Amino acid sequence: MKRVARDPAAPVPVRVERALRLLPDLEALLPLRALLISTSRPDERQVWSSSGPYLTLGKRGVQPDDLRRRLGAAVQRMSAHVEALFRAYIEALDADQRRDGAGVVAALLEAGRLEERVGRSTQAQVWYDSALAVAEALPNRRPEVESLRALGELDLGLGRSVEGARHFQRALALAEAEFDQVGAVGACEGLGDAALAQAQWPGAQAWYTRGLRLAQESEQGPAIGRLLHRLGRLAAQQGDRSAAAEHLRVAAERFEAAGAAKEMAQLLNSRGTLEADGGQTAVAAASYREALAWARRADAHDISLEVSIRVNLARLQLGLDRLLEAEEQMRRAEQLAIAANLVGSLIQVYLLMGELRGRQNDAGGFVFFEQAIELCHTLERSPIFEARAYRAYGEYKNRLGDREEGRAYQDRAKEIMSTLGRTDEIERLSEFLTRVSA
Amino acid sequence: MLRVIAVATDRTVVGSAIQTLRQWASDAGVNFVYAPDLPQAVRELAANRWDVVLAFPGDRPEEALAWWRDALRGAQGNPALIAAVGRPSMGLVLRAERLGVLDLLTLPLQREDFLRAIERLRSAATEMPLPLPEPHAEVAGPYALVGQSPAMLEVYKVIARVAGSNATVLIQGESGTGKELVARAIHVHGPVASGPFVAVNCAAIPENLLESELFGHERGAFTGAIARRIGRFEQAARGTLFLDEIADMSLSLQAKILRAVQEREIERVGGAEVIPVNVRVVAATNRDLREAISQARFREDLYYRLAVVTLRLPRLVDRNGDLLLLVSHFVKEFAGRYNKGVASISDRALELLRNHPWIGNVRELRNVIERAVLVAETDVLRVEDLSEDLRAEETSLPDRPQRALLTLAELEARHISRVLANTNGQIGSAAEILGIHRNTLTRKIKEYGL
Repeated sequence: MKRVARDPAAPVPVRVERALRLLPDLEALLPLRALLISTSRPDERQVWSSSGPYLTLGKRGVQPDDLRRRLGAAVQRMSAHVEALFRAYIEALDADQRRDGAGVVAALLEAGRLEERVGRSTQAQVWYDSALAVAEALPNRRPEVESLRALGELDLGLGRSVEGARHFQRALALAEAEFDQVGAVGACEGLGDAALAQAQWPGAQAWYTRGLRLAQESEQGPAIGRLLHRLGRLAAQQGDRSAAAEHLRVAAERFEAAGAAKEMAQLLNSRGTLEADGGQTAVAAASYREALAWARRADAHDISLEVSIRVNLARLQLGLDRLLEAEEQMRRAEQLAIAANLVGSLIQVYLLMGELRGRQNDAGGFVFFEQAIELCHTLERSPIFEARAYRAYGEYKNRLGDREEGRAYQDRAKEIMSTLGRTDEIERLSEFLTRVSA
Repeated sequence: MLRVIAVATDRTVVGSAIQTLRQWASDAGVNFVYAPDLPQAVRELAANRWDVVLAFPGDRPEEALAWWRDALRGAQGNPALIAAVGRPSMGLVLRAERLGVLDLLTLPLQREDFLRAIERLRSAATEMPLPLPEPHAEVAGPYALVGQSPAMLEVYKVIARVAGSNATVLIQGESGTGKELVARAIHVHGPVASGPFVAVNCAAIPENLLESELFGHERGAFTGAIARRIGRFEQAARGTLFLDEIADMSLSLQAKILRAVQEREIERVGGAEVIPVNVRVVAATNRDLREAISQARFREDLYYRLAVVTLRLPRLVDRNGDLLLLVSHFVKEFAGRYNKGVASISDRALELLRNHPWIGNVRELRNVIERAVLVAETDVLRVEDLSEDLRAEETSLPDRPQRALLTLAELEARHISRVLANTNGQIGSAAEILGIHRNTLTRKIKEYGL
């Protein structure tokens, strides 16, 4: 086979790190930023160069021509999104004209969900707040329950578990007063999730169990599976492996029988982690691979779920010292996260890549942590992710023998966790710092 | 007996088609199982060893084939992938080849096509093992330089000449030719061998951090400088600082490097103290620095400071006879690391390696062998152990049975596809190389489904 030389006339792509610096931080330009990231490609000249193993988003290249070509489709998507929002609003007006308050709330909530789907959480919150304001004045309290649940879920997604719990508490009280079983079960799930996020295991257990009881009483099949899955994950976190396995087994039976592909993929992802923690590495790998198959079979392909499964599979391979396979899996996850503009997932991938380099005692691995922190500052703006990035960076530096810098990063992580009230994470960090100091 | 598992991705495969397949498989002496959906197939692949996956990828075949390529990496016995699709475009055929799909069959399936695919698979089982020679490394340990080609002998001579001095060395060569290994060899054989060898990859580090990485920073020097950092120049004191991919830095930073190399002193970012540094600098690049100078992207004064001695490394394809030695060296390294008993390579696998263009040079070869050793299940490295990209090149080997003689259109589509891959999809550049108008190229891309 002949080597085909790269065309010297082809323009050198602009590095993403440079392109992002040139893009003003304006809300109106966020879709362009997303397009820039998803259009970026690894610079072909770097694939086999010594910097190849250290490639991060910032070092990918973007061709202005590529952006120009995709601009039309991107603008079309934006315009379709705005049109859908306008339509939802007009739907709300229609409902108002009909004096259908529940219809108004439903339309406003729909607009919020549309915003959430494209990652515009702040805007989604405004829609949900409007829906709640309307719902509060209605005699029927179910729309209010729905609005509160939407706000609670949004809070949890943004790491605001205390606010989330407050919304779910109100939702539960109203749902129970209204005999709204679906609302009550959803609120219990949310309250359990909020407790779990704050490492309040007994609280989470109590809420999930209550939710499960309510779901069983009202025969809500999908909710039963979801709650069993959550109870399984909780039991695993508390170290009760047999209870975890049992919950997951029963949930899997339900999901598989119902052909709930996405739920099955999520469950197998959890089961893989449980098995990996228990040292059943081959079984865990099989669970993750099956999870990928279910994720693919699901009607709407959830890329963040696929990235999460691949990250877990990579972590498993890392633990087995199968570094080549782990790296391949991480790069696949990176590609998916970049193409779908999933910055949070990308941060996770880079932290794991940094850990991999740490295992190899590779001083060049710091670039992954720096990139993750940069993403936390500029794109994701999530303090919890930033704290985790600093924690991992500190561990990496310590592993490489740079105690002073390692401690500084851990301290920074602790500082951020304190502002977030994450006592579990602070305890973990304190333990680590004591161990390192000793 | 060959074991084939057929998998329907989109539930469109009807029972009667499976019945027919089962009959054909039985006639061909093949053990045949059908999995009606992906999750079941993955369970089967995890539980048992299979030789072939016959996938029916459905509506989005490209996506499905890429998925299968990934899924089969974790399966026992490296099963080969055969796909059955309705009316494959030329683009799909080419992409399937690149993904290492053994055969792309057309729906509705024909008995002859199925049997021919099985026959191809059987013929692959006739590989002859070849013993691997004992590799001789010029430098022992993990940083061994392997090769006895005339091109490498020249390199060894230059290393021997320059290592003893303190001269700054500029190593040039394509990616993966071993520039860091040569820098280490210069360090190990030089006057500062007892000192540290510190390598910095200038292209890997974010632009805004490179200065602080090289010269260090004081706490609070900039947002994010939450701890003091000792830079690489200081870390390399009384040793060697290897600046890899030197062309990849801003002009302002080049000026600072020049000052550090000339005056042998640095200042940490945010610091006021001038710190003397005593390091030997070895720099490397895969770019043409003279061209970069002419485009005002690289400082000429820095070039002359770095290129006191210049060493050019050969491409792997120009190192006649070294490929087998390198294969042998890497097989030994990875067989030891992964506790595998691989001791030889098959004639066909070696032929594939010899015919590969090795754009990534030795680094690419190392990667290929590591993967192959990792997945090998016997003591012979076979074609099935090689990556999909390499396996896809099997059809281009001389004296190999081709699926069929190519039509002119097929040949044209293949060539266009290759040129597009090399221009990173840039239609304008590809049209220029092909010597046709870009509108003609756009039409052909559409026509061939590329």
